[in-house]
Amino acid sequence: MFKNPWKKCGIGLVGIFLVAIFAGCTNSESGQTDEHSENSASSEALLEQPWEKTEAAAENSQVNLYMWGGDEGVNRYIDNWVAPRLKENYDITLKRYPMDITEVLQKLQTEKRANKETGVMDIIWINGENFKNAKENGLLWNSFSDKLPNFKKFIGQDRADLQTDFGTPVEGMEAPWGKVQYVFFYDAAHIKKPPQNFIELAQWVKENPGKFTYPEVQDFTGSGFMKHLLYDKMGRDVLENELYREELTNEHGDAVWQYLNDIQPYLWKNGENYPASLTELDRLYSQGEVWMTMGYNEARAERLIEDGTFPETTKSFIMEPGSIGNYHFLSIPFNSPNKAGAMVAINELLSPEAQLEKMQPSVWGENTPLSLEKLSEADQEKFKNIERGDSVLPSEQLEAAYLNEMDPAYTEWLKENWMSEVVQTTH
Amino acid sequence: MKLFKQRIKPYLLLLPSVTAAIVFVGWGTAAALLESLQDWETGEWTVVYYHELFTNPVFWDSLFLSFSTALLSTAVSVVLGLVVTRYLYHYFRKNRWKLLVWLPMLVPHLVAAYLVLLFFSDSGLLSSLLYRFGWIQEMSEYPFSVQNRQGTGIILTYIWKEVPFVILMLLPVYYQLNSNYEAVIRTLGGGSWEVFKTAEFPALAPVLTETGIILFSFTIAAFEVPYILGVTYPKMLPLLSYQWYFENDWSSRPAAMAVMMVTTFLTLLLAFLAFGLSQRRRNQMSRGK
Repeated sequence: MFKNPWKKCGIGLVGIFLVAIFAGCTNSESGQTDEHSENSASSEALLEQPWEKTEAAAENSQVNLYMWGGDEGVNRYIDNWVAPRLKENYDITLKRYPMDITEVLQKLQTEKRANKETGVMDIIWINGENFKNAKENGLLWNSFSDKLPNFKKFIGQDRADLQTDFGTPVEGMEAPWGKVQYVFFYDAAHIKKPPQNFIELAQWVKENPGKFTYPEVQDFTGSGFMKHLLYDKMGRDVLENELYREELTNEHGDAVWQYLNDIQPYLWKNGENYPASLTELDRLYSQGEVWMTMGYNEARAERLIEDGTFPETTKSFIMEPGSIGNYHFLSIPFNSPNKAGAMVAINELLSPEAQLEKMQPSVWGENTPLSLEKLSEADQEKFKNIERGDSVLPSEQLEAAYLNEMDPAYTEWLKENWMSEVVQTTH
Repeated sequence: MKLFKQRIKPYLLLLPSVTAAIVFVGWGTAAALLESLQDWETGEWTVVYYHELFTNPVFWDSLFLSFSTALLSTAVSVVLGLVVTRYLYHYFRKNRWKLLVWLPMLVPHLVAAYLVLLFFSDSGLLSSLLYRFGWIQEMSEYPFSVQNRQGTGIILTYIWKEVPFVILMLLPVYYQLNSNYEAVIRTLGGGSWEVFKTAEFPALAPVLTETGIILFSFTIAAFEVPYILGVTYPKMLPLLSYQWYFENDWSSRPAAMAVMMVTTFLTLLLAFLAFGLSQRRRNQMSRGK
């Protein structure tokens, strides 16, 4: 038998491996407890102490921002405008991590279960049902928004439209970052006069088979489309600012499904397949397979036209009974390792300068949650003078059509039934 | 000392990989199993999620689609890979040809799925070529569909990706084949089929089985290709599980885990059956039957 030197090495490696495992375990445990005690001691004080102290505590620290990374314009805004500014003004290093909010919450939930008091996320981007989930499961830190100077100055606690987020009381657990409205986009080269209501839409779809579709219900934009249909079939008075009522879905549910089944054979791919996401629908639109797309953020087509993704003839429209709008927010997880830094960074994101930059069509283009009348006159002028672009509807028209988000239970109802009522009925 | 060398040492040497398997795979599987057996709110033990799963037509449609897609793409990949290797393995001694045929392996599955979409979708390259030559007048006349309920695009992607893998697995076997066997069969008047059946297949069978299992279990459980090329309904098992897992109120999470457990069980069952079969054949061969 010959001697193989690698075998000895192998045994040695096993030993090293085992030692490393144990060392790793003990290390992380001790590190965790130390940070833990320090963390919880200071985190309550953060909400009591004057703002200058928070700023001082945030100095020379790192803030980890976990957010959906699917929009290059948004990413560039954070990386190239916000991050350098935070570095310069507060000596904060802002690091952006692209992650879908459902996965963010999943991660936090796992950490919560494992009692991991010091996590990695400092700021998360959130709204709607995800906020509801996070709040109910104790994944968020505390009520902090009214401690932020910019929130106090430019938004305030008493704004009627910011008391709830899709029906869930906000209670300061998150700070509003932006405001968007749901609009439809169309290619004016193919469509002279866009439909004004759902009846006209159905007519148009039938006259132009294969040129319209909407994302499936699991997608935010897809359920958004169907929520507009709910408003149309059930009426504004019973949905807006009202709680979920089962008798409404029982009574009007059939009309909703009937409408969707009625147009289904005339949809893209004869309605056999729906785009799995808004990205997919946008791709179909940009390649001319369909002639309409849609989505939250009334100004989102501007950048896509600019970089050549969408045709230059892209315009937007809204239909009766209106356009659903909502806010999206920033929040701090329960186990953020740098809550002071998170507060300072969020405060900065709510400054008129940061909001103004964000609203530029070439940057992000979406609307601001700040109350314009609370800004200085010079700033008010700047906001009013932003050229939002030709594809964006006039703000008076958008405001007049504004519909509040309905109780999220309706979205759940849509998700539970769309597949069986609409998709599975074709075969 | 002898006892140590012969009995204990092999286990010790295997320890790192076994530990990794137990820690990562085993822990994950156990956690999933536990979650699928517990009520999502109270944490009480229950099999209700499995019961719901097996009475849900959505699940059966998904299972059928996943199973047929995985089976078909595995079978075609293995056969194609075998044919290519059988007839071309002499060429593959040259690195140039080998690299060329292995090229698809360097492309990630996600990219491969997008490539299929790019080439074969209604607004894809093939469609615009047909349009340019005047064979179709409009995009909607484009005759091929890669995104359909039969999973054509998914199967196509997997075949393109996995044939090179099959070749990779089979080449060493062909290189090690004793060429005297072929000579003997030819002298005795046997044709190519006899050569394949008697000389090559017995050596290939275990590798083919192994490759088939790897491919099947990968295809039935992989996410990205059906995510891009799948349809709204039915969804392949991994997508169904993902969808349920990330649904709003987390009440479907145990069901999502149950889907994964069923998938795992199926793959393991298949692996045991296949390994058992090939083991028995090997025993028979060694006993000279």
